[in-house]
Amino acid sequence: MSLSELTKPWEAMSYGFLDASAKRELRRKMIKAVAVPGCQMPYASREVPMARGWGTGGLQVSLTLVNPETTVKVIDQGADDSVNAASIRRFIARVAGAPVTMDTLQADLIQSRHRIPEEILSEDQILVLQVPNPEPLRPVQPNMSIARQMHADADYGRMWLQLYEQIVRSGRVMQGASYPSLVHGRHIMTPSPIPRWDVPKLHMAKHLTILSAGREKRIYAVPPYTRVEPLVFSDVPYRVEDHGGLTCHRSGTKGFFMNEIPQDGGTSTYEVSDSEWGVKAIRQRDGEGVIKGETWYKNGEMAQ
Amino acid sequence: MSQSAPPLRSAEEIEANASFDALLWALSRPGQIRHLPKPGEAALIDALIDRECRVYSADPLLIPQVMRSGAEIADMASADHVFLATVQDSEVLKSLQLGSDLYPDEGATVILRCKLGAGAHLRLSGPGVNGTCDLQVAGLPDGFWQTRAQVMRYPTGFELILLDGDRLAALPRSTIVEVL
Repeated sequence: MSLSELTKPWEAMSYGFLDASAKRELRRKMIKAVAVPGCQMPYASREVPMARGWGTGGLQVSLTLVNPETTVKVIDQGADDSVNAASIRRFIARVAGAPVTMDTLQADLIQSRHRIPEEILSEDQILVLQVPNPEPLRPVQPNMSIARQMHADADYGRMWLQLYEQIVRSGRVMQGASYPSLVHGRHIMTPSPIPRWDVPKLHMAKHLTILSAGREKRIYAVPPYTRVEPLVFSDVPYRVEDHGGLTCHRSGTKGFFMNEIPQDGGTSTYEVSDSEWGVKAIRQRDGEGVIKGETWYKNGEMAQ
Repeated sequence: MSQSAPPLRSAEEIEANASFDALLWALSRPGQIRHLPKPGEAALIDALIDRECRVYSADPLLIPQVMRSGAEIADMASADHVFLATVQDSEVLKSLQLGSDLYPDEGATVILRCKLGAGAHLRLSGPGVNGTCDLQVAGLPDGFWQTRAQVMRYPTGFELILLDGDRLAALPRSTIVEVL
C-alpha cells in the first residue's frame, strides 16, 4: 500500500456537493432505515450551503441518490415555484447536472416539503420528504432518551391519550399535519407535516419514501408496500380534510387538497395545492395536450 | 448569473452511485434481483465502507480493499459489515451483531455469495413485497433460513445481501422467509 494509492486526485468540488464519505454514511443509514420501516436512525447530517431547517435533510438524501440521469422535481407545500423549492432544485441541478422537471410523472426523484403529489407515484420513483421534527413522541415526552426507550418498548399509549384529549377538549382530533402513524405495525412515525389528506397515500404505496430531518439528524423510511396506519380509535374513524367538495378558482379542478386564500370581506377562495396539477388542468382547458396521471383521490375520495 | 458546469463525476462516484441504486432497490423490494456495475463485493465495499466501519471478512482476498478504505478489521461479533463469502454452516448467523431495541441500526449488514434463480424456493413477505413473492436461492447450508428466523426478533436483526456475480438480491430483517 503506497501513499498515492490512498490519495485521490484533487477536485474543486465533489460531484453532488457531498464528499464520498458523507454519501457512504448516508447510504449505510438509508439501508438501516429501509430495513426497519418508520424507525428513526441517527446520522451525521453534514453541512450544506443552506440553513438547517430549510430542507437540508432531504437535500442530503437527494444529493446522495442523484446522478446525471435522475430527473428531479422539488416541491414546497405543493408548489414547484416557491422560493425554497426553486433554490433546492437549482442547487441540485448545478452540483449534479441533473435534469429538472415540474411534471410529477416525469420525475425520478421528488424532494418535497410537506406534500405528496396528487398523481400516483410509480414503482421507480423515490419520494424524499423534508422533516422538521421527526419525533412523534415529543409532544408527550420531551426527553429524547426516554422517547427512544418508549420506541424500543412500543410504549405508545400516550399517543392515543393525546388524541383522546383532543377529542374530549374539541370534539374531534385536532392534529392537522404530521398525523402520527403506525408503520409496519411496530414503529410510530410522524409522516412529516403533510396534511391528513396525504397520509393514506403512503399506505401500501408503490414507491419508496425516505424522510430525512437535517437539523435533528435522523433519517427514516417507508418502503413500498408497507402498512402505514394513522392512529385512530375504533369508533372515531380517520378523517381527512373536507376538501373533496372544493373547487380551485384558477384551474377549476375539484376534489383535491386546496390552499385557502382569504378574501376581503371575510370569505375565502381556494386554489389547488399541487401547483403542477393545477397547471395541467389549465393547459387541458386551453386545449393543450397534457398527460395527466392517475390520482390517488377520485372525486374527493381516496380510492380503495 | 454565470452558470457553471456541474462537477465532473469520478469513476468511483459513478460506480458507487450505481451500486447503491441497485442495492436500495433490491432492499426496498426484497426478492427482486438487480445488477451491480461489476461482479463481486468490490462495488459494495466502495459504496459503503470507510473508516467509520468495523468489517469482518471471511474471504481474505477482500481484506486489502477493506484496509484501503480505512475500515477497522473486527471479529464477527463486533463488525457492522460482515462479508461471509460462501456460507458453510448456518451457525455463523448466531454470532452476528443484531443491534438492540434501543438501537436497531447497530444490526449488521451481511454480504454473502450464493446462487440466485436455482435451488430452494423461498416465499417472501413483509414490507416491500406486495403480498408474497418467490425467490430461488442455492448454495446456502441447511437450516440457514430457520436459523435466521430463530436469532432475529424484530426490530433487531441483520440485513442479508445475496450476491451472485453481478446480480444482487437483498433481504432486510423485516422480510419473513418461508421455505417451500
